[in-house]
Amino acid sequence: MVSFEPSEDQQLIQSTVRSYAEKVLRPRLRDFERARCLPDEVMQALHEMGVTTLTIPESAGGPGLGLGTAVLAEEELAAGDAAVPYAMGGAGSLGAVVMELGTDEQKTRLLAPFCEPDAWKHRGALAFSEPRPAASPGLSTTATRTALGWRLDGKKSFVLNGGIAQATVVFAQVDQPAGWEGLGAFVIESDRPGMTAGPRMGTVGLDAAHFGELVLEGCVVPEANRLSGVEKVGHGLLRAFSRISLHSAARAVGLSRAAFDITREYCETRQAFGKPIGHFQAIAFTLADRLMDLDSARWMLWRAAARWDAGKDAGKQTAMAAAHAFEVAMRAADDAVQLHGGAGFIRDVCVEKMMRDAKTIALTAPPVAVQDALVADGELGVQHDLAAVLPTPDIQPIFT
Amino acid sequence: MIDFELNETQQQIKSFVHMFAEQMVRPISLVADRDHGLPPEFLARVNEMRNAFTMGAIPKEYGGEGDGAGGKDKKGGRSANLTAAIGSEEMCWGDAAVVLTLPGPGLGGPPVRSMGTPEQQERFFGVFQKPGLHWGAYGLTEPGAGSDVAAIRTTCVKDGDHWILNGTKCFITNGARADWVVIFATVDAAQGRAGHRAFVVEKGTPGFRIGKIEEKMGLRASETAELVLEDARVPAANLLGGEDSYRTKEGFMGAMKTFDSTRPLVGAMAIGIGRAAYEHARDFVKEHYLLSRPVPRYRAIAERLARIARRLDAARLLVWRAAWMADRGLANAKEASMAKAYAGQAAIFACIEAIEVCGAPGAAAGSDHAFLDKWFRDIKVFDIFEGTGQIQRIVISKRILSGLKSF
Repeated sequence: MVSFEPSEDQQLIQSTVRSYAEKVLRPRLRDFERARCLPDEVMQALHEMGVTTLTIPESAGGPGLGLGTAVLAEEELAAGDAAVPYAMGGAGSLGAVVMELGTDEQKTRLLAPFCEPDAWKHRGALAFSEPRPAASPGLSTTATRTALGWRLDGKKSFVLNGGIAQATVVFAQVDQPAGWEGLGAFVIESDRPGMTAGPRMGTVGLDAAHFGELVLEGCVVPEANRLSGVEKVGHGLLRAFSRISLHSAARAVGLSRAAFDITREYCETRQAFGKPIGHFQAIAFTLADRLMDLDSARWMLWRAAARWDAGKDAGKQTAMAAAHAFEVAMRAADDAVQLHGGAGFIRDVCVEKMMRDAKTIALTAPPVAVQDALVADGELGVQHDLAAVLPTPDIQPIFT
Repeated sequence: MIDFELNETQQQIKSFVHMFAEQMVRPISLVADRDHGLPPEFLARVNEMRNAFTMGAIPKEYGGEGDGAGGKDKKGGRSANLTAAIGSEEMCWGDAAVVLTLPGPGLGGPPVRSMGTPEQQERFFGVFQKPGLHWGAYGLTEPGAGSDVAAIRTTCVKDGDHWILNGTKCFITNGARADWVVIFATVDAAQGRAGHRAFVVEKGTPGFRIGKIEEKMGLRASETAELVLEDARVPAANLLGGEDSYRTKEGFMGAMKTFDSTRPLVGAMAIGIGRAAYEHARDFVKEHYLLSRPVPRYRAIAERLARIARRLDAARLLVWRAAWMADRGLANAKEASMAKAYAGQAAIFACIEAIEVCGAPGAAAGSDHAFLDKWFRDIKVFDIFEGTGQIQRIVISKRILSGLKSF
């Protein structure tokens, strides 16, 4: 039965996060941006609120809530400050990968640390992207079996929390001739020798989030750290990227809403030619178009999340939601700056930050072209060609 | 709870209507377009099944399917609007002109329903229970008043137990064949909306005649007529709602309320056409590109398909949202306009892109892709009738900028 109404529990979470985002996050977003991180008390508060652990299963000590609830909470966080869901603690993309590729034992063991009451600074990371494409299909980072375990060598870049995460899941080539089917996923703890952090990267947006490089030189991890819940790692990774896309889409929707709301208010107050600029149809119609964008993006997002929670294949719907949300967010932020006129370009107003954040969010998951390739495969009923639907270094490396 | 799955009744209606659209409607679609009308035997056949298609347009107490068509959810919630949207999309996937020509009250239904007295509802909806083919119609637009409905100039003057109407209505769907038409007229143009009155003008009314039948870009099988009122004598009993009901602003609001419930349906119809074009292109690509063409060319085409698919999908969710709100009794003027405006443009985009995807033959009327030519011509008006895209944006932005008092 079609319904657009969140459950009572969901509405409660939604309003709790919304009020925190309005009271704490939005007023301080420039502070977070300047400091390039969140202050401890904000990270603590977010962890206590539970938004850092929403989808971690009960077996690992998490609340085990569905993605349907997670996207609601993330829209609210991002409406406060889109950088917050990227900068806060939590398993993040590592969680998505472990959920899709780990055994039950690994899910429990690897995700439990994030649920500890004092784990507010605990972060996960996913190292997939590389600075340069490999010579042949697959990743240039390699994993070789040795007597002590798996030895990893290579360079990773654009890694969210790269160098500051307590646990990082690194993708490496296990079987070179197998190309993209020959990947392995390895969880590396921060204190393990052989992995060093490169310099932190400067980004166009999401300044409070930490993006860094990782260098692996003879880093040896035990077999137990190799995610071994599925046989086809490449396809499991595809599902993990789909999950990550859903989170990114939720954040894009939150950012779009904030950009829209701020701009609407401005159009009701800013005067030109003797009346508020909202009176002019060139302005008013732009707002109408952005609201159609925003609403449709949210319903697509909700529908994809509902399919995940129902255990149905949600690959196509998620890709549609992500592609739409990324484009919608970019338009929302672009028009927000445009309708603010010169004021939009000045940092006193936060719409310029939103425009930079929107571009960055769209690169924290497979980009629009890759999402559309996934949609097309689904529509045409063809098997995914991993080389075409993974955000590989040769297509377009993304922030992972 | 958030849910995007159709209930069992809706799934059944969807697959039934789809089957009908595929097996009965598509085969006559191109011929009907060429001949500017549907074969009478087809209409007779459809008329027998009309209760399955009028979907909520005629209330139960007057012999129709009423609100119950979509069934009720566990909490007793209604879903007639959503169900109608789903059915409309499927039918228009077959042929939109056929949908507009289906016997029934058409756009005339909602104003009779929302403004009519019980006696009027009984009388005018009762027509559809009689043997033979019957239509209702809706006459608001005039040569000098389209989107600006407050500017209508058709006059009405009370004369004993009759009203005398003078004026011309144009672009009236099923106007010539309709048993009755809801005609909007004004007692005093200077009063604007407050001066509006709605009448049910029956076929054969003295002074009421059919003008020219329009030739159109698309939807050619649907009849679009001009209606002329020259001292037309309409019984006072045909003034919708009775005279007292016009002491408030309801006359105009009645006309506008019609659109809150029909705009999502028009959006759903547009999506039906857009989807038809999209599926045609998709299947063409499947056969011609998939295995035999170089990958980069295929990727570009595949991305194109994906863009069409997700725009249509976004539009459908906006339609569902607006219909869901109507079913819940929530005010949905903004959402209804959003659904209609977005769907019209998404479907136009789909029809244009589908032609391009299929290449030059896609634009050739006599080719395998003849339907693409028809859909391309049919779809444009969906961003025009029932309020142009620009009018929808006025409706939407007024509600977005609610802080602007005089807007």
